[in-house]
Amino acid sequence: MPARRHYDPDTIFATQAAVSAAMGFFVTLIWGLTGAGTFWPVWVWFGLAIPLAINFSWWYSRQFVGRRKWLALHMSLMATASGALILIWLLSGGGGFWPGIPIVCLLVLLACHLFLSENWERLLASGREKELTQRVDQLTRTRKGALEAQAAQLRQVERDLHDGAQSRLVALSMQLARAESKLDDQPEAKELVRQARAEAGEAIAELRDLARGIAPPVLADRGLAEAARSLGTRTPGGVTVESTLEGRPPPVVETGAYFVIAESLTNATKHAPNAPVTVTLGEGDGQLNIVVRDEGPGGADPRGSGLNGLKHRVEALDGRMGISSPPGGGTVIRVDLPCE
Amino acid sequence: MRVVIVEDQALLREGIVALLRENGVEVVGQAEDAPGLLRLINGHKPDLAIVDVRLPPTFTDEGIKAAIEARGDHPGLGILILSQYVEPVYTSELLANGSGGVGYLLKERVADIPAFLDAIGRVAEGGTALDREVVAELVQGKSGDSQLAELTPRESEVLSLMAEGRTNAGIAETLVVTPGAVEKHISSIFSKLDLPATGADHRRVLAVLTYLQATV
Repeated sequence: MPARRHYDPDTIFATQAAVSAAMGFFVTLIWGLTGAGTFWPVWVWFGLAIPLAINFSWWYSRQFVGRRKWLALHMSLMATASGALILIWLLSGGGGFWPGIPIVCLLVLLACHLFLSENWERLLASGREKELTQRVDQLTRTRKGALEAQAAQLRQVERDLHDGAQSRLVALSMQLARAESKLDDQPEAKELVRQARAEAGEAIAELRDLARGIAPPVLADRGLAEAARSLGTRTPGGVTVESTLEGRPPPVVETGAYFVIAESLTNATKHAPNAPVTVTLGEGDGQLNIVVRDEGPGGADPRGSGLNGLKHRVEALDGRMGISSPPGGGTVIRVDLPCE
Repeated sequence: MRVVIVEDQALLREGIVALLRENGVEVVGQAEDAPGLLRLINGHKPDLAIVDVRLPPTFTDEGIKAAIEARGDHPGLGILILSQYVEPVYTSELLANGSGGVGYLLKERVADIPAFLDAIGRVAEGGTALDREVVAELVQGKSGDSQLAELTPRESEVLSLMAEGRTNAGIAETLVVTPGAVEKHISSIFSKLDLPATGADHRRVLAVLTYLQATV
């Protein structure tokens, strides 16, 4: 395929301007040499100026993009046309200002273009797009509501487990223990009661694990920073928690953030055992910021199951996650969760 | 031994009171909330206060806060926290503040009557009684420690029992070995972990806990 010659618009415009100026000068010179009668070269100038103005309009509008570009072209062409009409009116000796009507018409056209150009999206969006936008708004709102309701319900379940079922089981096992101590003369019955007490103990332990899986008590009691410190006491390498949080984020965000930290620390323990870890908590622009940094070997695979699970958790809360893990440079996980 | 109990759930409170009275422990007062604890302590001067973590009005950690306050105001008072769950942060706060016996047990441990009576006896006398799950979490947090890795499995068992607050005799009984064997294990643990060897049970436990809680 032969290469197409490409003309630079600046060069074209400059060439045209130079040629027009030279021709204008040349005819004026001829007019001077032929006795300087009626100043006819003005019509030649006029003829040269129109294409030059059109070319200028195109050249000028190139700096804009999209609909603005067409608007700029329209504007400069309109200015050219109006200028030409006024010039013709002047050159033909003035009198009643007849160019007024066409100029007003041109202005009206330009105003219509301007209006359409500025409101294009809104006008287009009136149909399907508008419907979709509303639907997305609605879904975002209801999802948030559903998540918040779920978080509140889960915390209530956790509390109910502690204060209800678990307490009753503890009371039951105490009573069984007292019964057991009164059955010294009936070894068989005593053994049965002892087994029942052991079963109750298992049930209590299972309920406790269940409740902890929903939300650890220290999170509800003391908030995120203390809960992160509590997680730190279970992490072999040692964890430093730095927090500038003042208030408490909504429960759904707080619980989500807790599990983000828990999973990050589990990852750190797995891939960088015994490396010191720093958890930084902050807030700003309606976001909760969590940074978990370990001094381990780095080179984490963002598609690994641990980080992938973390990503899904963050996405469920409409948050963002970034991972930096250069080989030999430790691993930094940064998570931002919207709080509003 | 004079004991007061603060527990908001009547079923549990009455169960514990009945259990203690049947076993010859004198329960001199009962309350349902944190101000009640402080009132009971001022009024009855007990040897030991048994306190639930979650108390009205907010049902979060009032019990811990009240217990720390009571420990500060009444040196020598034994505090035994009963909780539905294990929380290292609370245990650390409790151990770090004040003198006197201290314990943190899961509520269901009450059902093991001899062990429970042993624990309240230890705490009332200024000793320590930590739930084995508390100890397990502390040991887990230090599992990457190279010094801890040097311990033999038997020594690790002995260390955990020491951290729970058991005496040498108690450890010997639990592991079914002679007290002499326990002493040998303990001196080996102390030298491997660079802990100061000391005779008093409570100080010994605190040394172990300090080691287990120290991070990095």
